[in-house]
Amino acid sequence: MDKKQMELLQGTLDMLILKAVSLGPLHGYGVLLRIQQISKDRLEIQQGSLYPALYRLEHQGWIASEWGESENKRKAKYYRLTAAGKRKLQTEAEKWNRMADVIAGILQSTPEEV
Amino acid sequence: MGMWSRIRSWMRALAQRSRMESEMDAELRFHIEAFAEDLVSSGVSRQEALRRARIEFGGVERAKEECRESRGVSLLDGLMQDFTFAARTLSKSRGFAAIAVLTLALGIAVNATMFSLVSAFLLRRPPGREPSRIAVICGVNPVATFQSDLQGISVPNYLAWRKANQVFADLAAADEYRTVSLTGQGLDANGQPTSTGRPEAIRSAAISPNYFRVLGVNPQFGRTFADGEDQPGHEHVVLVSHQLWERRFGSDPSLLGRTIRLDREDYTVVGVMPTNFRMIGFIAQLWTPLVVTAADQTETARKDRPLTAYARLKPDVTVEQARAEMATLAHRAEQDFPQTEKGWGAAVRTLQDYLIANFNVRGGLKVLMTAVGLVLMIACANVAGLLLARATGRRKELAIRISLGAGRLRIVRQLLAEGLVIALLGGGAGLLLSYWGINFVRATMNFNEYISSVPINLDWNVALFALAISVASAALCGLVPALNASRADINKNLKDESRTASAGRSHSRLRTAMVTAEIALALFLLVGSGLLIGGLSAIHHQNLGFRTDHLLTAAVTLDSTQYKDAAQQAAFVRNALLRLGEISNAEAVAASSDLPATGPGKVTFLIKGQPELPANQRLNTLDFVVTPEFFQAAGIPLLRGRELTERDDASAQRVVVVNQEFVQRHLKGQEPLGKQIRLDVSGPSPEWSEIVGVVANTKTYSEAAREEPQVYEAMLQRPIASFSLMLRTSSDPDSLIPALRDAVAKVDAELPLLRVMSMSAVIEGQAGADPIFERLLGSFALLALLLAAIGIYGLVAYSVSQRTHEIGIRVALGAASPQVLRMVLWEGLKMTAMGAAIGLLMALPLPKAFEAMFYDLQIQEPGLYLIVPMAMAAVTMLATYIPARRAMRVDPMVALRYE
Repeated sequence: MDKKQMELLQGTLDMLILKAVSLGPLHGYGVLLRIQQISKDRLEIQQGSLYPALYRLEHQGWIASEWGESENKRKAKYYRLTAAGKRKLQTEAEKWNRMADVIAGILQSTPEEV
Repeated sequence: MGMWSRIRSWMRALAQRSRMESEMDAELRFHIEAFAEDLVSSGVSRQEALRRARIEFGGVERAKEECRESRGVSLLDGLMQDFTFAARTLSKSRGFAAIAVLTLALGIAVNATMFSLVSAFLLRRPPGREPSRIAVICGVNPVATFQSDLQGISVPNYLAWRKANQVFADLAAADEYRTVSLTGQGLDANGQPTSTGRPEAIRSAAISPNYFRVLGVNPQFGRTFADGEDQPGHEHVVLVSHQLWERRFGSDPSLLGRTIRLDREDYTVVGVMPTNFRMIGFIAQLWTPLVVTAADQTETARKDRPLTAYARLKPDVTVEQARAEMATLAHRAEQDFPQTEKGWGAAVRTLQDYLIANFNVRGGLKVLMTAVGLVLMIACANVAGLLLARATGRRKELAIRISLGAGRLRIVRQLLAEGLVIALLGGGAGLLLSYWGINFVRATMNFNEYISSVPINLDWNVALFALAISVASAALCGLVPALNASRADINKNLKDESRTASAGRSHSRLRTAMVTAEIALALFLLVGSGLLIGGLSAIHHQNLGFRTDHLLTAAVTLDSTQYKDAAQQAAFVRNALLRLGEISNAEAVAASSDLPATGPGKVTFLIKGQPELPANQRLNTLDFVVTPEFFQAAGIPLLRGRELTERDDASAQRVVVVNQEFVQRHLKGQEPLGKQIRLDVSGPSPEWSEIVGVVANTKTYSEAAREEPQVYEAMLQRPIASFSLMLRTSSDPDSLIPALRDAVAKVDAELPLLRVMSMSAVIEGQAGADPIFERLLGSFALLALLLAAIGIYGLVAYSVSQRTHEIGIRVALGAASPQVLRMVLWEGLKMTAMGAAIGLLMALPLPKAFEAMFYDLQIQEPGLYLIVPMAMAAVTMLATYIPARRAMRVDPMVALRYE
């Protein structure tokens, strides 16, 4: 992790976690690795804030957890996306994309357009 | 969906807190170790890898705390926090807390104390197996009398219904109100009782052998009666109550199988009933078999209705079905025997309902519980007012907390928690106080054997009730201030630096409303209690129409062993009166079937020359059977004709004396002397009796204030086995009790006397719970007044202290003290006037309600509606005056600087 990393925008961690587990059940550490892998290590995630987010998402019913065995034959808690989580991810993603479009549009505007 | 998973997760969080903690530990440890392993595989030493992993992860404890919070576990912790915080704030303002707790403790204590009566009388489960499946059958009298649907049933009806019904698995009957004389355990060689003690009159019941089987009660030891033990010749067996076994037989287990002397005959003790076999209103100490003779099955026997029937319902039969069946059977009896049964019905109740109805305490308890309920509401209003005042003082603190991010819900919860802490402390203290209250009630509720046989305790019902009302009070006290505080405008409160503004109009309006309500409730309670106390004491002090002083009485029941026929009964009466007359200071002696004021039974009758009507349409009258000197002994003046004399005996023409009301109501003022009437009384064929005299009216001591027609028969012409002796004396009647006992013992040493007491004591017994009821009600009303006064005082004192600054300015600008005083007094007066008006309006329908609740209680107390509001105004003015005087003394300089 020597490369230049970006700090996560506020409120986006939940969406990223949902996306990460939507690709298959993961344990907490796996979620971290998956996000780093997909983002090609360009995002910096506070490991300490990962678990409260996981617990919050589970509490809200968007992900569910169960204990399983890790690749190293150790007991680990796996999270998977629920049906409600799937819908949530979809709406969040749409919202994000719209927002990104709008922001991008604003930033690309030239003096003539205003 | 989200809601559901949230609840589930929360429930899991609550239930499996420790498991969650360890799981969370394991999960985080796994994370750090997995991370470290990855580092190790990239070539870092294991120790270094773990160190780096921990650093990367950051604060583990903080992460855990955040996890817990996002789980929602924090709610529980939050509640704990609320309570500890509430306890801490309250312990900081001890004076406030003490007043609030004490106020609620008083309110809760009176409620818990009264509820112990409810628990004892209304909630007690009858003994025995499945008491809810037991039906009790009573007769319903077509003539409206006291408890007309709780009358007895006749032996022929009992036998017929037992055979014919389809709804009961078994039906038993009992004559619950007998008296037997218990003497020593046998006779010595001279035929004298071996026990040296006096013969004792014991309450007993005659029961069918299946009685205890139907009730589902087993004896403590021995057995209950076997079938066939109700047959003549086999009936000399007896069951003994645990209490009598202890008291009279010293808990001797060898009593079983021994014989005891009852009414001069030997009975074998076959069993002792358990100590917990107790039903309210049941006072039998002995049970003997109910013997049904041939005479009991004739049509004349239908006039006697001594029995109550107890039946166990068949498994799938409801009480309603049983009621319908009994209605049919009663109707059949009416058709078959119209002479005696016309109009009579049968009432079916569950055992519990029967016991409560029979004991007739529901109305009184309802009034008492309403009174204490109102007292508690006033107490709650006071505490709510205190909390509101405090909330006003704490506006700033709350505003700061809200602006620092405390949710409004959290603030409401916080204030509710304070209310709950106060209420629970108050509940605890109240329960403690009620312990003494219940002891007091138990000590006073012993005016007759029926009441004192009911155990009154601080039981689970009472404790649970106290808890429930504490929580309810917490809601009542805490909710208003909490909602009010949470609505507050933060910015205004933060800015509101000065105390000059007559702080928070809405707060003071709310408190004014509450104090007004308190006054209304207190006034309502005062008027209500005043009405009842007035009505009851009018009964207490009414002129009964005879001389109640200097009169000694004793009840006697002649047993059928010694006194087999009318002649023997008459002989006893003659001899006993002779002996009584020999007592020095005896002015007149008499015997009477019933004492005046105690209310004899009603009988129907015919007037000669008028058409014969069916039984339920005939005229009725109270019926006494008396000896000649009765009118002198009782002090009832003769108005016309003559009194009864010794010559009016069995061989002479039957004669009666009637009272004035009888002449007015039944003879419509016609000449009474010489008129013939025929009373429908039990016994051999009824005879016509001639009216020979008219006496003044006497009243029965009851809530019915009106006069009743009365007939006096001659005891020599209709001898009876159960009567009272009366001895008018010139000295203190109680001092003659031994002389009276000796005089009767000279006639019959084995005959017990019951209720040897002066006439005033008899009347006191008739009054029953009334004096206690009055005292309790009066003290609750005064407590309400006191609490309301404290409420006014608190409010006015508080508003004066808040307005010190304002008053200082007024005084500085030249307002004179009287003006300031008037201003403050006006505040109190306004609330009193409003509250009193509302309270009076609420109290208007009370007299009607009481008349319906208490059998025929006459209420006429117009003065109350004036006196009570005036007393109320005086008290509230005093409560206002104290803080007002303080306002008057405000030094403008001090007040202006006061900041």
